[in-house]
Amino acid sequence: MTAQGQRVLPQPARAGPQPEPIVATSGLTRDYGGVGLFDVSLLVPRGIVYGLVGLNGAGKTTLLSLLSGLRKPDRGTIRLGVARGRVAVCPDVSEFDPWLTAAEAVDLARSLVAPHLARDAVDAALETAGLADAAGRAVGGFSRGMTQRLGLACALVGDPDLLILDEPTSALDPAGRAEMLAQVAAMRGRRTVIFSSHILADVQRIADQVGILRDGRLLYQGGMQELIDTYLTPAWLVRIAGDPSEVMNAAARQPWATRVQLTEPGVIRIEATGIEAGERGVPAVIAGCRARLVSFDPADADLESAFLALTGAEKRAAT
Amino acid sequence: MTAGTLSRVRRPARPMSLWRLEWLRLTRTPRAIALAAVFLFIGLIEPVVTRYLRDIVGRLSHGARIPLPLPSPADGLNSYVSEVTLVGLIVVVAVAAGALTFDTRAGISTFLRTRVSSMTRLVLPRFAVTAAAAAVAYLLGTLGAWYETSVLLGSLPVGGVLAGIGCGAVYMMFAVAVTALAASLARSAIGTVGTALAILIVIPIAGSIHAIANWLPSALVNAPVELVGSEHLAHFIPSLAVTAAASAAAVWFAVFRLARREA
Repeated sequence: MTAQGQRVLPQPARAGPQPEPIVATSGLTRDYGGVGLFDVSLLVPRGIVYGLVGLNGAGKTTLLSLLSGLRKPDRGTIRLGVARGRVAVCPDVSEFDPWLTAAEAVDLARSLVAPHLARDAVDAALETAGLADAAGRAVGGFSRGMTQRLGLACALVGDPDLLILDEPTSALDPAGRAEMLAQVAAMRGRRTVIFSSHILADVQRIADQVGILRDGRLLYQGGMQELIDTYLTPAWLVRIAGDPSEVMNAAARQPWATRVQLTEPGVIRIEATGIEAGERGVPAVIAGCRARLVSFDPADADLESAFLALTGAEKRAAT
Repeated sequence: MTAGTLSRVRRPARPMSLWRLEWLRLTRTPRAIALAAVFLFIGLIEPVVTRYLRDIVGRLSHGARIPLPLPSPADGLNSYVSEVTLVGLIVVVAVAAGALTFDTRAGISTFLRTRVSSMTRLVLPRFAVTAAAAAVAYLLGTLGAWYETSVLLGSLPVGGVLAGIGCGAVYMMFAVAVTALAASLARSAIGTVGTALAILIVIPIAGSIHAIANWLPSALVNAPVELVGSEHLAHFIPSLAVTAAASAAAVWFAVFRLARREA
């Protein structure tokens, strides 16, 4: 952990020079009288989908506003590996003059960021956002979800290198949410996406790397799997047909097993000292007992559990 | 994506720009109609009121005799100028505030500020299009007042009326520039309207100081009336020059402050 309380996990060694990150901040601070953002050093590699998660008031929108140039930091630096004009921003609540049509709103965005592009780019952006049929409709009659998709079309029309999305799925219905996430995931490699969300399942579904903010501080940034591996006690749920006591006793005798308990009839929760030890050891114990295995699943291996474990651990450390 | 799917998209007839955005703001909302209607209504009604004021007062006085002089053609124009200086100016400032307070809505502010590299590029069309609309509304209103005055009260000198229209239009441009300045001082539309009107009211009070009266923008308010009388346009050159310079300074200051404001 650094002096600022920011954990940096060891990165896998790679041959040759690392590509320049598209966003690198150093000690970024914006203090609104005790709340805001403090000493955030963000590192976003080029071409990935980066998820920014945190509770309400954690500083996600402040951080994205600083990266967008909409606000200025009190301290710290922001280094963008791309021209400011190649950055597109989509706020959590997109707004447009209600008397503009969707096509006019996107064409206005095109004229401002990419006037050299043909107006076919407008058609393509509307099509991508699923608004081709609503292109001639006044924006004032749009639902919140349609307005949010229009915001995405306006962001995409200039074919940006860096796309900053603040809560892009917050106003969408389940189908629209899935569609939006698929679109963001499909951008991987072609452009870098930084998006914030309080829906951790969305982040886990599409993000390559994740940054966790709490009370304005970046508690963690790095790969999703490393986060889960580091902050979750590796645990598995084993469902056995018949009496589970033999398996429980055998598992409890293993040196790698830290806890064995029956969570519901026929289901044993086994916690291990490490992922590899558990993944090798648990099947071996079951096989050794010649038990009838129904299912064998990792328990709570999701971002939400890791997030709660991390923020809970940080809170305990602070007190 | 196929050509077939793209053909469903109904793209705008003309390419968008910040200038076209302001034109659409005027024509797709009641703004242009409100401006034209208010100035035209005042222009058409005020000379009529002036012409028949004696009759109206006579009917309302219930036998009491209130001597009123016969109205002159200049009185018809004077009546119009007095009204547009109050009602017309409020409408102009309100319309200008609607265009210039783009920071009141966070989504629109983000859309514009993350895409427009220069604040001048953002403010100039909003100022220029609104100022032109206000000037055209003033022109329409004055033409209406001129017509009614000619029919009901007698003819006005063409040169004087045209020079007066020029002075009045410059003052309307100044009012829009002051609104731009106010939009950089206040964030809300109501705050902007209040600040702009306060500035526009204070300036004529400063005009009570005789030494500077002819140099102030407020000297242009009554110019249309004075120009159909004995005054010549040369008399208003100082205030025209000061108004043009003050308008430019107000817009520059607005750009300066808005560029430093956070969304």
